[in-house]
Amino acid sequence: MSPKAKVVVAREHLTKARQETDGGDLRDAVQWAFASLEAAIDALAAPHAIAIDEKHWRRTAAAKELYERGVLPKDLSDLHQELNHFRKAVFYEGEDLNAEEIEIEETLADVETAVSIAEDDGGLGAEDGEKES
Amino acid sequence: MTATTLTRTWREPAATRDGLARLAPLDGELWASRLLTDRRCATRQQTADLARITAEVRSRARHLGAAALVLTGSTARGRRSAVSDLDYHVIGARPRLDDLPAEIDLYCDEPAEFLTKLERGDDFAHWTVRHGCVLFDSGALHEAAAYAADRDLWPDPERKLRQARRALDFAERLLASDDHAASHEQVRGALSLTARWWLLAHDVFPLARAELPAQLAMLRQPALARALQAAIHDRPDTEDLSAFLAVARSLTG
Repeated sequence: MSPKAKVVVAREHLTKARQETDGGDLRDAVQWAFASLEAAIDALAAPHAIAIDEKHWRRTAAAKELYERGVLPKDLSDLHQELNHFRKAVFYEGEDLNAEEIEIEETLADVETAVSIAEDDGGLGAEDGEKES
Repeated sequence: MTATTLTRTWREPAATRDGLARLAPLDGELWASRLLTDRRCATRQQTADLARITAEVRSRARHLGAAALVLTGSTARGRRSAVSDLDYHVIGARPRLDDLPAEIDLYCDEPAEFLTKLERGDDFAHWTVRHGCVLFDSGALHEAAAYAADRDLWPDPERKLRQARRALDFAERLLASDDHAASHEQVRGALSLTARWWLLAHDVFPLARAELPAQLAMLRQPALARALQAAIHDRPDTEDLSAFLAVARSLTG
Protein backbone atom coordinates (compact mmCIF):
# COMPACT_ATOMS: atom_id res chain seq x y z
CA MET A 1 0.00 0.00 0.00
CA SER A 2 1.49 3.35 -0.96
CA PRO A 3 1.61 5.94 1.79
CA LYS A 4 -0.99 8.65 1.87
CA ALA A 5 0.05 12.09 0.70
CA LYS A 6 0.95 14.38 3.57
CA VAL A 7 -1.87 16.72 2.71
CA VAL A 8 -4.44 13.92 3.03
CA VAL A 9 -2.95 12.95 6.39
CA ALA A 10 -3.03 16.60 7.48
CA ARG A 11 -6.76 16.88 6.68
CA GLU A 12 -7.60 13.62 8.47
CA HIS A 13 -5.64 14.62 11.57
CA LEU A 14 -7.38 18.01 11.62
CA THR A 15 -10.77 16.30 11.44
CA LYS A 16 -9.81 14.23 14.49
CA ALA A 17 -8.61 17.34 16.30
CA ARG A 18 -12.03 18.91 15.75
CA GLN A 19 -13.81 15.77 16.94
CA GLU A 20 -11.74 15.69 20.13
CA THR A 21 -12.37 19.39 20.70
CA ASP A 22 -16.11 18.89 20.26
CA GLY A 23 -15.92 15.96 22.66
CA GLY A 24 -14.12 18.10 25.24
CA ASP A 25 -10.77 16.27 25.19
CA LEU A 26 -8.25 19.06 24.78
CA ARG A 27 -5.31 16.76 25.36
CA ASP A 28 -6.01 14.60 22.33
CA ALA A 29 -7.16 17.65 20.36
CA VAL A 30 -3.70 19.17 20.81
CA GLN A 31 -2.00 15.94 19.75
CA TRP A 32 -4.00 15.73 16.53
CA ALA A 33 -3.68 19.47 15.82
CA PHE A 34 0.09 19.22 16.12
CA ALA A 35 0.22 16.15 13.87
CA SER A 36 -1.97 17.95 11.33
CA LEU A 37 0.15 21.10 11.32
CA GLU A 38 3.34 19.06 10.93
CA ALA A 39 1.91 17.19 7.96
CA ALA A 40 0.66 20.43 6.38
CA ILE A 41 4.09 22.06 6.78
CA ASP A 42 5.71 19.00 5.21
CA ALA A 43 3.27 19.17 2.30
CA LEU A 44 3.97 22.87 1.75
CA ALA A 45 7.73 22.72 2.31
CA ALA A 46 8.38 20.00 -0.30
CA PRO A 47 7.29 21.90 -3.43
CA HIS A 48 8.99 25.05 -2.15
CA ALA A 49 12.29 23.21 -1.60
CA ILE A 50 12.45 23.98 2.11
CA ALA A 51 14.46 21.35 3.99
CA ILE A 52 12.70 19.68 6.90
CA ASP A 53 14.93 16.66 7.59
CA GLU A 54 12.03 15.24 9.62
CA LYS A 55 12.93 17.43 12.60
CA HIS A 56 10.40 19.42 14.61
CA TRP A 57 12.58 22.49 14.98
CA ARG A 58 13.14 22.62 11.23
CA ARG A 59 9.38 22.59 10.74
CA THR A 60 9.14 25.57 13.09
CA ALA A 61 11.67 27.38 10.91
CA ALA A 62 9.85 26.21 7.76
CA ALA A 63 6.57 27.69 9.02
CA LYS A 64 8.30 31.05 9.36
CA GLU A 65 9.93 30.75 5.94
CA LEU A 66 6.64 29.81 4.29
CA TYR A 67 5.16 33.01 5.71
CA GLU A 68 8.12 35.11 4.59
CA ARG A 69 7.80 33.69 1.08
CA GLY A 70 4.11 34.55 1.02
CA VAL A 71 2.94 30.94 0.94
CA LEU A 72 1.20 31.23 4.31
CA PRO A 73 -0.69 34.42 5.22
CA LYS A 74 0.43 34.17 8.84
CA ASP A 75 3.62 33.13 10.64
CA LEU A 76 2.67 29.83 12.30
CA SER A 77 6.10 29.14 13.80
CA ASP A 78 5.02 30.20 17.30
CA LEU A 79 1.88 28.07 17.03
CA HIS A 80 3.95 25.07 15.91
CA GLN A 81 6.30 25.49 18.82
CA GLU A 82 3.48 26.00 21.31
CA LEU A 83 1.66 22.88 20.11
CA ASN A 84 4.90 20.89 20.31
CA HIS A 85 5.36 22.08 23.88
CA PHE A 86 1.78 21.23 24.86
CA ARG A 87 1.73 17.81 23.23
CA LYS A 88 4.99 16.85 24.97
CA ALA A 89 3.57 18.02 28.30
CA VAL A 90 0.49 15.90 27.66
CA PHE A 91 2.29 12.87 26.28
CA TYR A 92 5.38 12.63 28.45
CA GLU A 93 4.33 14.39 31.63
CA GLY A 94 0.66 13.48 31.68
CA GLU A 95 -0.33 17.12 32.13
CA ASP A 96 -3.93 18.20 31.82
CA LEU A 97 -4.85 21.11 29.60
CA ASN A 98 -7.63 23.54 30.23
CA ALA A 99 -9.30 26.10 28.04
CA GLU A 100 -7.35 28.97 29.62
CA GLU A 101 -4.04 27.51 28.50
CA ILE A 102 -4.83 27.23 24.82
CA GLU A 103 -7.22 28.99 22.47
CA ILE A 104 -8.22 25.78 20.75
CA GLU A 105 -10.68 27.27 18.25
CA GLU A 106 -8.14 29.86 17.15
CA THR A 107 -5.51 27.13 16.96
CA LEU A 108 -7.69 24.91 14.78
CA ALA A 109 -8.53 27.84 12.53
CA ASP A 110 -4.81 28.51 11.97
CA VAL A 111 -4.13 24.84 11.27
CA GLU A 112 -7.11 24.81 8.90
CA THR A 113 -5.51 27.69 6.97
CA ALA A 114 -2.27 25.74 6.54
CA VAL A 115 -4.08 22.55 5.52
CA SER A 116 -6.32 24.37 3.02
CA ILE A 117 -3.37 26.11 1.39
CA ALA A 118 -1.51 22.79 1.21
CA GLU A 119 -4.55 21.29 -0.52
CA ASP A 120 -4.70 24.20 -2.98
CA ASP A 121 -0.93 23.91 -3.50
CA GLY A 122 -1.31 20.45 -4.97
CA GLY A 123 -0.72 18.31 -1.92
CA LEU A 124 2.75 17.10 -2.75
CA GLY A 125 5.00 15.57 -0.14
CA ALA A 126 4.13 11.93 0.32
CA GLU A 127 5.17 10.59 3.62
CA ASP A 128 8.57 9.08 4.21
CA GLY A 129 11.38 9.27 6.69
CA GLU A 130 11.35 9.70 10.41
CA LYS A 131 10.70 12.52 12.80
CA GLU A 132 13.07 13.44 15.56
CA SER A 133 11.72 13.32 19.04
CA MET B 1 48.90 15.06 66.33
CA THR B 2 47.91 16.30 62.85
CA ALA B 3 44.39 17.02 61.79
CA THR B 4 43.05 14.99 58.89
CA THR B 5 40.54 16.51 56.48
CA LEU B 6 38.11 14.04 54.97
CA THR B 7 36.88 15.25 51.60
CA ARG B 8 33.65 13.79 50.30
CA THR B 9 33.49 13.35 46.55
CA TRP B 10 30.29 13.21 44.52
CA ARG B 11 29.40 9.89 42.94
CA GLU B 12 26.39 9.61 40.70
CA PRO B 13 23.62 7.78 42.59
CA ALA B 14 23.08 4.14 41.75
CA ALA B 15 19.93 3.57 39.68
CA THR B 16 18.25 1.93 42.64
CA ARG B 17 15.53 2.95 45.03
CA ASP B 18 18.00 3.87 47.78
CA GLY B 19 20.62 5.30 45.40
CA LEU B 20 20.18 8.92 46.42
CA ALA B 21 19.55 8.29 50.11
CA ARG B 22 22.84 6.38 50.32
CA LEU B 23 24.68 9.60 49.46
CA ALA B 24 23.12 11.50 52.38
CA PRO B 25 23.91 13.82 53.98
CA LEU B 26 24.05 16.00 50.89
CA ASP B 27 26.02 18.72 52.64
CA GLY B 28 27.68 21.77 51.11
CA GLU B 29 30.98 20.00 50.57
CA LEU B 30 29.42 17.12 48.67
CA TRP B 31 27.29 19.49 46.61
CA ALA B 32 30.32 21.58 45.67
CA SER B 33 31.96 18.37 44.51
CA ARG B 34 28.89 17.57 42.41
CA LEU B 35 28.92 20.98 40.73
CA LEU B 36 32.55 20.49 39.77
CA THR B 37 31.97 16.93 38.56
CA ASP B 38 28.88 17.90 36.57
CA ARG B 39 30.55 20.82 34.84
CA ARG B 40 33.33 18.51 33.68
CA CYS B 41 30.76 15.93 32.65
CA ALA B 42 28.77 18.47 30.61
CA THR B 43 31.94 19.52 28.82
CA ARG B 44 32.84 15.92 28.08
CA GLN B 45 29.40 14.90 26.82
CA GLN B 46 28.80 17.74 24.36
CA THR B 47 30.14 18.47 20.91
CA ALA B 48 31.33 22.01 20.24
CA ASP B 49 28.01 22.83 18.54
CA LEU B 50 25.95 21.53 21.46
CA ALA B 51 28.21 23.32 23.94
CA ARG B 52 27.60 26.61 22.12
CA ILE B 53 23.84 26.11 22.36
CA THR B 54 24.13 25.20 26.05
CA ALA B 55 26.20 28.32 26.71
CA GLU B 56 23.44 30.40 25.15
CA VAL B 57 20.72 28.64 27.17
CA ARG B 58 22.76 29.19 30.32
CA SER B 59 23.24 32.88 29.55
CA ARG B 60 19.52 33.43 28.89
CA ALA B 61 18.46 31.49 32.00
CA ARG B 62 20.86 33.50 34.16
CA HIS B 63 19.63 36.74 32.59
CA LEU B 64 16.09 35.85 33.72
CA GLY B 65 17.33 35.16 37.25
CA ALA B 66 16.96 31.37 37.20
CA ALA B 67 17.92 29.57 40.40
CA ALA B 68 19.41 26.56 38.60
CA LEU B 69 19.95 25.04 35.18
CA VAL B 70 20.52 21.33 34.57
CA LEU B 71 21.45 19.46 31.40
CA THR B 72 19.33 16.31 31.38
CA GLY B 73 18.39 13.35 29.21
CA SER B 74 20.62 11.48 26.79
CA THR B 75 23.14 14.31 26.44
CA ALA B 76 23.78 14.38 30.18
CA ARG B 77 24.25 10.61 30.09
CA GLY B 78 26.50 10.66 27.03
CA ARG B 79 24.00 8.46 25.19
CA ARG B 80 22.74 10.64 22.37
CA SER B 81 21.20 8.91 19.36
CA ALA B 82 19.97 10.18 15.99
CA VAL B 83 16.59 10.96 17.57
CA SER B 84 17.79 12.66 20.75
CA ASP B 85 16.58 16.06 21.87
CA LEU B 86 18.72 18.47 23.81
CA ASP B 87 17.06 18.52 27.23
CA TYR B 88 17.33 21.05 30.05
CA HIS B 89 15.55 21.64 33.32
CA VAL B 90 15.53 25.22 34.53
CA ILE B 91 14.48 26.16 38.04
CA GLY B 92 13.02 29.57 37.34
CA ALA B 93 11.44 31.39 34.43
CA ARG B 94 11.36 29.94 30.92
CA PRO B 95 13.78 31.65 28.52
CA ARG B 96 12.91 31.91 24.82
CA LEU B 97 14.95 29.41 22.84
CA ASP B 98 13.00 29.20 19.59
CA ASP B 99 15.81 30.76 17.56
CA LEU B 100 18.37 28.13 18.56
CA PRO B 101 19.20 25.49 15.92
CA ALA B 102 18.34 22.31 17.80
CA GLU B 103 15.49 20.13 19.02
CA ILE B 104 15.40 21.56 22.53
CA ASP B 105 13.17 20.31 25.33
CA LEU B 106 13.06 22.69 28.24
CA TYR B 107 11.30 21.85 31.51
CA CYS B 108 10.71 24.79 33.80
CA ASP B 109 9.65 24.88 37.44
CA GLU B 110 9.78 27.49 40.15
CA PRO B 111 11.65 26.19 43.24
CA ALA B 112 8.51 25.49 45.30
CA GLU B 113 6.86 23.77 42.34
CA PHE B 114 9.95 21.62 41.85
CA LEU B 115 9.78 20.42 45.46
CA THR B 116 6.11 19.63 45.01
CA LYS B 117 6.90 17.57 41.91
CA LEU B 118 9.52 15.59 43.82
CA GLU B 119 7.04 15.01 46.61
CA ARG B 120 4.29 13.81 44.28
CA GLY B 121 6.63 11.45 42.45
CA ASP B 122 7.26 13.20 39.13
CA ASP B 123 10.04 11.12 37.59
CA PHE B 124 11.37 13.98 35.42
CA ALA B 125 12.05 16.02 38.56
CA HIS B 126 13.72 13.02 40.18
CA TRP B 127 15.78 12.43 37.05
CA THR B 128 17.11 15.98 37.21
CA VAL B 129 18.10 15.61 40.86
CA ARG B 130 19.72 12.21 40.43
CA HIS B 131 21.34 12.14 37.03
CA GLY B 132 21.31 15.65 35.57
CA CYS B 133 24.49 17.62 34.90
CA VAL B 134 24.07 20.75 37.01
CA LEU B 135 25.27 23.74 35.00
CA PHE B 136 24.65 26.23 37.79
CA ASP B 137 22.77 26.25 41.08
CA SER B 138 22.20 29.07 43.52
CA GLY B 139 21.06 26.58 46.17
CA ALA B 140 17.52 25.65 45.10
CA LEU B 141 18.57 22.38 43.50
CA HIS B 142 20.83 21.48 46.41
CA GLU B 143 17.91 22.03 48.76
CA ALA B 144 15.65 19.89 46.58
CA ALA B 145 18.19 17.07 46.35
CA ALA B 146 18.71 17.05 50.12
CA TYR B 147 14.92 17.07 50.57
CA ALA B 148 14.53 14.04 48.30
CA ALA B 149 17.48 12.18 49.86
CA ASP B 150 16.42 12.82 53.45
CA ARG B 151 12.88 11.58 52.77
CA ASP B 152 13.98 8.76 50.46
CA LEU B 153 11.52 9.99 47.83
CA TRP B 154 10.82 7.80 44.82
CA PRO B 155 8.87 8.48 41.60
CA ASP B 156 5.29 7.23 41.53
CA PRO B 157 5.04 4.16 39.25
CA GLU B 158 1.22 4.39 39.08
CA ARG B 159 1.48 7.89 37.66
CA LYS B 160 3.84 6.57 34.98
CA LEU B 161 1.51 3.68 34.25
CA ARG B 162 -1.38 6.07 33.62
CA GLN B 163 0.82 8.09 31.24
CA ALA B 164 1.96 4.93 29.46
CA ARG B 165 -1.58 3.66 28.95
CA ARG B 166 -2.73 6.98 27.55
CA ALA B 167 0.32 7.21 25.29
CA LEU B 168 -0.30 3.69 24.01
CA ASP B 169 -3.92 4.60 23.26
CA PHE B 170 -2.86 7.59 21.19
CA ALA B 171 -0.05 5.71 19.45
CA GLU B 172 -2.54 3.02 18.37
CA ARG B 173 -4.87 5.63 16.91
CA LEU B 174 -2.04 7.40 15.12
CA LEU B 175 -0.77 4.12 13.72
CA ALA B 176 -4.21 3.49 12.24
CA SER B 177 -4.07 6.88 10.50
CA ASP B 178 -1.27 5.86 8.09
CA ASP B 179 1.06 8.67 9.22
CA HIS B 180 4.05 6.39 9.57
CA ALA B 181 6.72 8.87 10.64
CA ALA B 182 4.53 10.40 13.34
CA SER B 183 3.44 6.93 14.44
CA HIS B 184 7.00 5.74 14.80
CA GLU B 185 7.80 8.68 17.06
CA GLN B 186 4.68 8.12 19.16
CA VAL B 187 5.27 4.38 19.49
CA ARG B 188 8.86 5.02 20.55
CA GLY B 189 7.62 7.48 23.16
CA ALA B 190 4.89 5.16 24.41
CA LEU B 191 7.36 2.28 24.73
CA SER B 192 9.74 4.56 26.66
CA LEU B 193 6.96 5.48 29.08
CA THR B 194 6.04 1.81 29.48
CA ALA B 195 9.68 0.94 30.16
CA ARG B 196 10.00 3.73 32.74
CA TRP B 197 6.87 2.54 34.53
CA TRP B 198 8.07 -1.06 34.58
CA LEU B 199 11.49 -0.11 35.93
CA LEU B 200 10.13 2.21 38.63
CA ALA B 201 7.66 -0.46 39.71
CA HIS B 202 10.63 -2.80 40.18
CA ASP B 203 12.74 -0.30 42.14
CA VAL B 204 15.09 0.52 39.27
CA PHE B 205 15.55 4.16 38.29
CA PRO B 206 15.15 4.60 34.51
CA LEU B 207 18.14 6.31 32.89
CA ALA B 208 18.34 7.78 29.37
CA ARG B 209 16.10 6.27 26.70
CA ALA B 210 18.97 4.48 24.96
CA GLU B 211 19.84 2.82 28.28
CA LEU B 212 16.34 1.53 29.00
CA PRO B 213 16.60 -1.67 26.88
CA ALA B 214 19.64 -2.83 28.88
CA GLN B 215 17.90 -1.96 32.15
CA LEU B 216 14.83 -3.94 31.04
CA ALA B 217 16.98 -6.90 30.04
CA MET B 218 18.51 -6.90 33.52
CA LEU B 219 14.97 -7.22 34.89
CA ARG B 220 14.26 -10.15 32.56
CA GLN B 221 11.90 -8.19 30.34
CA PRO B 222 13.47 -9.03 26.97
CA ALA B 223 10.41 -8.53 24.75
CA LEU B 224 9.91 -4.91 25.73
CA ALA B 225 13.68 -4.38 25.63
CA ARG B 226 13.85 -5.65 22.04
CA ALA B 227 10.85 -3.61 20.95
CA LEU B 228 12.24 -0.41 22.42
CA GLN B 229 15.71 -1.07 21.02
CA ALA B 230 14.25 -1.50 17.54
CA ALA B 231 12.01 1.56 17.90
CA ILE B 232 15.06 3.68 18.79
CA HIS B 233 17.63 2.38 16.33
CA ASP B 234 15.78 0.73 13.43
CA ARG B 235 13.17 1.76 10.88
CA PRO B 236 10.30 -0.56 11.78
CA ASP B 237 7.35 -0.88 9.40
CA THR B 238 3.73 -0.50 10.45
CA GLU B 239 3.40 -4.19 11.26
CA ASP B 240 6.47 -4.03 13.50
CA LEU B 241 5.15 -0.95 15.30
CA SER B 242 1.83 -2.67 15.88
CA ALA B 243 3.65 -5.70 17.34
CA PHE B 244 5.70 -3.42 19.62
CA LEU B 245 2.52 -1.84 20.95
CA ALA B 246 1.07 -5.29 21.62
CA VAL B 247 4.13 -6.15 23.72
CA ALA B 248 3.66 -3.00 25.79
CA ARG B 249 -0.09 -3.59 26.08
CA SER B 250 0.47 -7.09 27.42
CA LEU B 251 2.27 -5.47 30.36
CA THR B 252 0.15 -2.40 31.02
CA GLY B 253 -3.21 -4.11 30.57
